[in-house]
Amino acid sequence: MKDPYEILGVAQTASPEEIRKAYLRLAKKLHPDLNPGSKHSEERFKEVSGAYDLLSDPDKRRRFDGGEIDASGADRPHERFYKDFAADAAAGHPYENRSGYADFAETDDILAELLRRRAREARHARGPDLHYHLSIEFLDAINGATELLTLPKGGTLHVTIPPGIQEGQMLRLRGKGAPSLGEGESGDALVEISINPHRFFSRQGDDIHVDLPITLTEAVLGAQIRAPTPKGPVVLTVPKGSNTGNVLRLKGRGVPRRDGHGDEFVTLRVVLPPGPNPELEAFLSNWTPGTSYDPRRDMQS
Amino acid sequence: MNISKPDFLERAQLDHATLEVWIQEEWLIPSGTASEVAFSEMDLARAKLIRDLKNDLGVNDEGVGVILNLLDQMHGLRRALAELLQSARERSAPADDPSSMDQDKSRK
Repeated sequence: MKDPYEILGVAQTASPEEIRKAYLRLAKKLHPDLNPGSKHSEERFKEVSGAYDLLSDPDKRRRFDGGEIDASGADRPHERFYKDFAADAAAGHPYENRSGYADFAETDDILAELLRRRAREARHARGPDLHYHLSIEFLDAINGATELLTLPKGGTLHVTIPPGIQEGQMLRLRGKGAPSLGEGESGDALVEISINPHRFFSRQGDDIHVDLPITLTEAVLGAQIRAPTPKGPVVLTVPKGSNTGNVLRLKGRGVPRRDGHGDEFVTLRVVLPPGPNPELEAFLSNWTPGTSYDPRRDMQS
Repeated sequence: MNISKPDFLERAQLDHATLEVWIQEEWLIPSGTASEVAFSEMDLARAKLIRDLKNDLGVNDEGVGVILNLLDQMHGLRRALAELLQSARERSAPADDPSSMDQDKSRK
């Protein structure tokens, strides 16, 4: 940043009154609301007011002169000036004043027609879209649901969740946004969906993954067991001699998509019975599994 | 987003009596009813402008009214100019409106 004395055009020895005078002289010329079309004025005004903030505070000025602080950080935080609102405000705001050109519009047919057309278009402009955020349950995202979204400004909105919706997907509800400022149609409500995690299901694309605990008996002898799927439990055949880490595929039990369904992958996890088990201990101490049974073989270096 | 009167006074660094005068002079036109006025961010920016005019730019009360009236006319002119430019632009390229195409694409 430039030297604040230079910005204000005063000497280092200037008195506080001189500094204030210099600031006021520049502010009169540069105030952004008096120069609404000039980006340059706005930049300069920010510089000038930043410099004035620094030099009008005796303590800050002393520290700056002593080299303790530099001129950076003296910029005023971004301010919205009145002109920014006047430029953005919708037609019909309370301070609107058309007397600056009313005579042209009355006597010049072309101008009158153009302005009339713009006014008509503005009247028929769609209302703005409104953005919302909705967290839904994992299973509702897969199976579909109807959610009630409570709006911050009061009122509710029925949101139909299509089956198989994905994290971050945006639902557009036609005409549920803000009303038009004139006679146009309302804007849309845009609802961004986030999906809460499930206790045991996880999702990769259109496939569902689940860890399924089985007993030692079921693993060794094989069994028909009930496996959870997003649509409810189904019977799953665990083959004889199954092991922890084996993956079974339940075809078509995943997330619905346009051409059918994804799959569910069930990863088996053998779980020993809890607590000491004398019979199992007795059996295992007499049991010789054979030399090929070394689960850590691959880890030996 | 509406701002209540106490919040407005604090954010604009105004006292109650001054605000009443400004509203009476129609320098500020808050919405709402007489018993419960509501202010917008626009009103707040306008109040800061009036404060700048009076405190920093040495404008007296009569001058503030004149300046605000001229400023409002200037913003009206700027808006009319912007609308005319927009009309002229649409006339010169009526078929080429990418913004509306994008919207249709994102609609499902």
